[in-house]
Amino acid sequence: MPRVFSLSAFSIVLSAVFCCGTDATAADEYDYDLVHSSVSFKARHLDISWIHGRFNDVAGKFVLDRDDPSKSTFALTIKTDSVDTANEARDKHLRQPDYFDTKQFPTIEFKSTSTKAIAGGYEVTGDFTMHGKTNKITMTLMGGKEHVFKDVKRVAFSTELSVKRSDYGFDKNAIGPIGDKALIMIDCEGVRK
Amino acid sequence: MPDPLLYTKAMGVAAFISMALVLAIFAWRRRLKMAELNSVCVVGIGFGLVAGYAVLALNLSWPPANALDRLLLIIVPATLVIELIAGFQRVPRAVAWLIRISLALVAPWILLHNSIYLNDSGDWTPWQVGLVIVVSAALLILVWGLFSVLSQRSGGVSLPIAVCIAVQCAGVAVMLAGYIKGGAAAIPLVATLLGTSIVVQGVARFFSGKIDVSLPQKVVVPGVVGVGLVGLFGLLFIGRFFGEISTLTAVTILAAPLLCWLSEARQLRNRKPWIIAAFRLIVVAIPLVVVLLAAKREFDREMSPLLGAAGRQDDQRATECNASHFLILGQLLAERRESSGASKSEGLAPFR
Repeated sequence: MPRVFSLSAFSIVLSAVFCCGTDATAADEYDYDLVHSSVSFKARHLDISWIHGRFNDVAGKFVLDRDDPSKSTFALTIKTDSVDTANEARDKHLRQPDYFDTKQFPTIEFKSTSTKAIAGGYEVTGDFTMHGKTNKITMTLMGGKEHVFKDVKRVAFSTELSVKRSDYGFDKNAIGPIGDKALIMIDCEGVRK
Repeated sequence: MPDPLLYTKAMGVAAFISMALVLAIFAWRRRLKMAELNSVCVVGIGFGLVAGYAVLALNLSWPPANALDRLLLIIVPATLVIELIAGFQRVPRAVAWLIRISLALVAPWILLHNSIYLNDSGDWTPWQVGLVIVVSAALLILVWGLFSVLSQRSGGVSLPIAVCIAVQCAGVAVMLAGYIKGGAAAIPLVATLLGTSIVVQGVARFFSGKIDVSLPQKVVVPGVVGVGLVGLFGLLFIGRFFGEISTLTAVTILAAPLLCWLSEARQLRNRKPWIIAAFRLIVVAIPLVVVLLAAKREFDREMSPLLGAAGRQDDQRATECNASHFLILGQLLAERRESSGASKSEGLAPFR
C-alpha cells in the first residue's frame, strides 16, 4: 500500500513538472532592448508642421505565447524626464507641470489586459497611463519575427498610436500652438531572458 | 498660452465678488467687532477665489492630481477654515498659532504628495525629505509670525498690499519660468486679498461714523495676512519643486514682505501714515523688481532658441529678442487656428 501511494505521488509530481515545462517553452519572456528600440512622437506645431521628439529612457517586458496568444502580455514604462526634442530649452519646458509634469508623473505606462493574434502581429488592448490618467487603448503590434543572434533570441514589434492630450488631463489652455493630438511611434526589440 | 484678457476678467470677478460680499455683510450687520470682521473677510476671500478660479478655468481635478490642485483644493481652503476658527474671540491665541503651525508643517508634505520626491524611486533620501519639509515649514512660520506681529504692532493697508505685490511677483516669476498655469493661479488670490483689504480700509476710514463699526484706522485683518502668506508660500514651493524657479528667487520673494519691518526704525516710525506706506511698498518692491528682471532675462535666454532664430543665435539681437512678442504671436496664431476650424481638421488628417 505505501509503495502504491509513493508511486502515484511520484507520477503526479512528474506530470506537474512536465506540464510546467511545456508552458515555459511555449511562453517566452523578453526584456525591452533599449539599444535597438525607440519610442518617438510627433505633434502638430501651429497646425502647419510637425515637432518630433523621443523618450530616451524606456523599459519593458513582454511574454509571448505562440500557442495561446491570449496569454501573451506586454508592458512598457517610459520615463517622462527623458523627453528629447533636440532642443534643451523646449525639453525643459515640456518637463514642466503645464506639459508632462515629470516631477509629479515620472512615467508613462502601458500594461496589456488582452491580446489577440491578427495577421502579421497582435492586437493588444490595455491600460495606458499618462499624466496620472489611465485610459483603455488598443494598439496593433506588427511584427513578431524572431531572430537568434549570438545565441540570444530576439523578437521585434512596431506600432503607432494616436492620443489626444486633453484625454489625459493636460491643460487645454496650455495646448496652445502645439496640437492636442500626438502620434506615438514605438519600435521595440525584445531579448529573451 | 497666457491670455491677458482672461486674467483681467478673472481678477475683476474675484475682486468684485469679495468686495461686494464684504460690503453687503457690513451693510447688513452694521455692528461688527474685529473677530467678526475677520470672519467676514475670510468668507469674502473664499467666495472671491471660487469665482476667480471658475473664470480662469484652471482644470482642477478631484481627487487632486498635482501640486496646484492640492494647493487650491486642500491648503488654501484649510487656511480659510483655520483663519475663520482663529478669528473667534473664544479661541486662545496660542491655540490659533498651534493650528497655523500644524498647517505650515503639513503643507509641504501635502504639496509633495505622490511626487518623485516622496516616492521610493525618487532622488531624495528620507533625511532630505524631512529636511526640506522642516526648513520650508520653518520659513513659512517665521514669515507668517513676524508679519503678524508687525500687523498688530503698527498695521496699515500697505501691509496687505505688500503681500499682494509679493504674490503677484511670485505668479509672474513662476510663469516666466515656464509654468503658465501655476503663475495664473496667483491672479484671483491677489484680486481677493486686495479687494477685501481696500474695502475694510475704506469702511474703517470713511464710514466709521455712519455705521456702527468700531475699527481702528490701521486695521489689518489676520485672515487676509494668513491666506496671502500661505498662498504665496504654496505658489513659490510649487514653482521651486515642480517648476523651474530657483531657491534664491523663491526665498527672496517669500521674505520680501518682511522688509516692511524697516518702517519700524526710529527715524520713520512717527512719520505720516502715507510716508510709511510708500516707504514700505518701495522697500518691498526693490528686491521683487530685481528678481523679476532676472527672471525675464532668463526667460528671454531660454525662449530665444524656440523662436526659430537658429540662424542668428550668434547675433546679439537674438539674445535680446523680446519673448513677449513670441507669446503674442503664438496667441494670435492660436486664435486664427481656432477661427478656421476647417483647416484644423484637414491638418490633423494623418491622425484619422
